[in-house]
Order: sequence, then C-alpha cells, then structure tokens
Amino acid sequence: MQEIKRKYVIPGDIVAEGNLRPLVNVFRIGNSIVATRIGIAESNKDGAKVIPLSGIYFPRANDIVIGKILDHSSLSWSVDINSCFNAHLPAQDIFGRDFSPAHDDMGSQLSKGDVIVARIAIFDRTRDPILTIQDKDLGKIPTGELIKISPTRVPRLIGKRGSMIQIIEQASSTRITIGQNGIIVVSGKDKEGINLAINAIHIVEVEAHTSNLTQRIKQLLNVPESEIENDDTKRNHEINDTEMNDDKAISNKIDKEMGMMNSNGTK
Amino acid sequence: MVQNRSLIDESGKRSDGRIIDELREIKIIVGIIKNADGSALIEFGKNKIIAAVYGPREVHPKHMALSDRCVVRCRYHMSPFSTDTRKSPAPSRRETEISKVIREALEPALMLEDYPRAAIDIFIEVLQADGGSRCAGITAASVALADAGINMRDMVSACAAGKVDDKIVIDINDTEDKEGGADMPVAYMPNLKKITLLQLDGELNSNEFKTCLEEAIRGCLKVFEIQRSSLIEKYFGDEKGLNE
Repeated sequence: MQEIKRKYVIPGDIVAEGNLRPLVNVFRIGNSIVATRIGIAESNKDGAKVIPLSGIYFPRANDIVIGKILDHSSLSWSVDINSCFNAHLPAQDIFGRDFSPAHDDMGSQLSKGDVIVARIAIFDRTRDPILTIQDKDLGKIPTGELIKISPTRVPRLIGKRGSMIQIIEQASSTRITIGQNGIIVVSGKDKEGINLAINAIHIVEVEAHTSNLTQRIKQLLNVPESEIENDDTKRNHEINDTEMNDDKAISNKIDKEMGMMNSNGTK
Repeated sequence: MVQNRSLIDESGKRSDGRIIDELREIKIIVGIIKNADGSALIEFGKNKIIAAVYGPREVHPKHMALSDRCVVRCRYHMSPFSTDTRKSPAPSRRETEISKVIREALEPALMLEDYPRAAIDIFIEVLQADGGSRCAGITAASVALADAGINMRDMVSACAAGKVDDKIVIDINDTEDKEGGADMPVAYMPNLKKITLLQLDGELNSNEFKTCLEEAIRGCLKVFEIQRSSLIEKYFGDEKGLNE
C-alpha cells in the first residue's frame, strides 16, 4: 500500500509541493498545491486532495439524494434536495415519453410533501439538477423519520465498507436510507429503536473526526464486541478507506440497503 | 483629524496602555450561530462583532443571479447599543460603504466561479464598537466563510495601522482614530501575499505610507495566526496529532 501523507488544513494552507495532480478541494499555485477548505489533506503519488469537514451539499451527477417534493408545473416536479439549487424531476421520467399534461395526472404519482430517493441524472452547473427515479430501488419513501446531518459527515456515517451504518441498523432494528445530500430516513417498527438510531447518527455527526468512534457507538447501542469485526482504533486507516472511495462506498451501501428494503417488502 | 492632546506618553505607552507595535487582545470563537452555515464571534480589544455566513444558497430575487459566478451580498451593521450614544438602527451611509468595501475585500479570496447562479450572504453585526470594526468584521467574516465550507483561495486577515503623534502605530483604536493623524485599514491574504483592501484616512508622506503599510501587513499576519488557531481548535480540538 502506498504511503499517504495527512495533515489538518484551513483554506490557503499548502497541502503538498511538487508535480502532484490536484484532485478535490485544492488548487495549484506555481509548484504548490493549496487547500480551499477546512479539512484533512491527503497526498500521495496519485495527487493531493482535501476531505472537507464543513460545507453545504453541492450536487454532482450520479449522486443518490433524498428530496422533498415542493411543487409541480405541468411538465416536472420541483424537489428540495438540501442544496442551493432546487432539482427537477421531469414528468416524462415517470409517465414515459408519451406523457401529456392533458391526459396524465401528475398529482396521482407524487404530491407536495412526498419524500423521494432519486439519482441526479444531469447536473453541469449551468442549469438546475435533473433527477431520475427510474433506477433500481429509487422512488417514493412511504414512511420513516427524516433527519438532516452535515453532508460532509455522510461517508463517516456509512463507515468502512458500510460498517458504521450496519452497526446502527442491526442494534436498533431499523432501516436507514442515506442520501449524499445529508438527508437520512430512519424507518422501523418500534419507536425506541428509531430514537436510538437517531441518537447514534447525531453522535456520529458531531464526533465524526474523533478516534474510537465506532467503539463509542457500540457502547451506546450495547453491541457486544464479538459481533462486529471492524474496529476503528486505527482511525486514520478508516478515514482512508471510507473517504478515498466515498463515492463508491455510498453507492454500494445504498444499493445494498435498497436491496434490504426490497427483501423486507417495504418498497 | 485635529490632534489636540498627546496620545503617546513619555514611556511610549498609548492611550490604552499598549506600545506602538502591539495589537489589542484578539479572541475568535467559531460556529456560534447554529442557524448559519458558518459563523464567528470576534473580540478585538473592546470590539465585539458577530459574522454569519449563509450559502451558497438560492438567489432571491432570481434576476440578481449571475450565470457564471456566485453573487456575494454583505451587510455590515452596527447595533443601536454598540456605541456611547444610541446609533439609529437604519443603515447609514457609512454602513452601506463599509458593507461594500468588506464585500470587495473578501471576494478575491472566494472561488465564486464554483457556485454559479447561487448567492453567499455575509452578515456582520457589530455589538460593541471601539475603532477598527471593519478590520475585525473582515477577519470574523473570513473565519465564518471558512467555517461555512466555501471554497477559498486563502483566508483574509485585516488590521489597521496609522499615525499617532507622528509615530506609526499598529491597530488604531477609537480614540486614536478620531484624534490621531492617519488611519489605514488593510486586508491581506497571508499565503498569497496580496492586499484586498487598502483605505487611508489622513495624511502620510511616502516613507510613512510605506512603513504604515508594512506595519499593517505585520498586524494582519498576527491576526491570521489567531484565525488559524481558532479554526483548528473548533474542527480538530485536541486532535492535533496529524500536524505535530
């Protein structure tokens, strides 16, 4: 495994010197790569980047997000995705190419206040994001508690190969759907389990960057040591694994989790 | 700018007991406004200022949005109880001007092209004023912007220098501002080594101007260290292991 250098940075700090590739949240000035956000800087021979610790959600194509229907025009729904742009879900996405505002009743499919899991189909900053719910396991979420966390904490909440979220789901007997925009839906049969899961999620959000977090979450949820194999006593390694592959980790997790929802017959 | 009493005594002490190249005590607390995306409280001597940043967020009214970059809106406001005599809460000519210069001092540090069609709102509320509130406001706003996770090329630190009793002094307070010879607020990007604000009220010859600017930049660098440590404290607390 190649060596990764890490340090805490604020905007303007030099992450690395030399002919490295600037990846995310950094820019190049002369021979230096400089951070643009507060966070943990990582550099190796592939390039340098900063994992941010603060910030709002900025959409990216192919992100899985959870949004709330705000309104609809005759051609699309407008969806709040916890970002600076409202997303649009075209009616054709649901009714198909033959959609006609005169014949199809958009209200019959989604109405104001409904919560959906969707994928950002198109976003290039020049226009508002376009959503789709046509992929597997996307669509309306029937029940659950809606909570909001900082989008920068989403990879930590999911954990190394989904370890953290699995611990919370198993210990609280709930199902947790995570959007990359920081919106989370917790659903389950008993209220106590839901409350326990919400508490655990809030602790992960507040203490995301601290060591031994998985340990403390296990204690909170009364999980015996033997049940969970992954441990984050070596926190740096965990940050590496989750953050380096955060996109992949999230989509895998969401795929897996949607699979679970299906197998449980909730969708 | 009429100087009618000595503001520096024989022992070289200024009206508030500082020596000529000494800054007032500065304290910054990050993230004190939960509703805001980023915020900071700065205590710069007797100045107490809150900066709150919202965004990037939707632009209302929509016609204000720019298709190629983000709009920055800045409001500097002094609360009615911030001064000795009540200040009318309505925005004054001075506040409108300071809002504009603060916005222009911060904009070069922001990567606005990353957020087209959006807006960043900066609110600077002066709770207690004692001279140098625009510098303290810029310093706090820069910390709040970093706290909000907005892409920045560099932090912006601000500090004033000026002339009192024909001596160049750093970090002018209210008395020195009103009774001294010159006041020069400077905002500076410490890593990029670029000036983003330079104003001058008073008269300086070219040598004095040069010294004054150098002193102000030296002050900005000291302010930057405090900005930096306050952000590190908030985000990493005791977990300083990576940098040590």
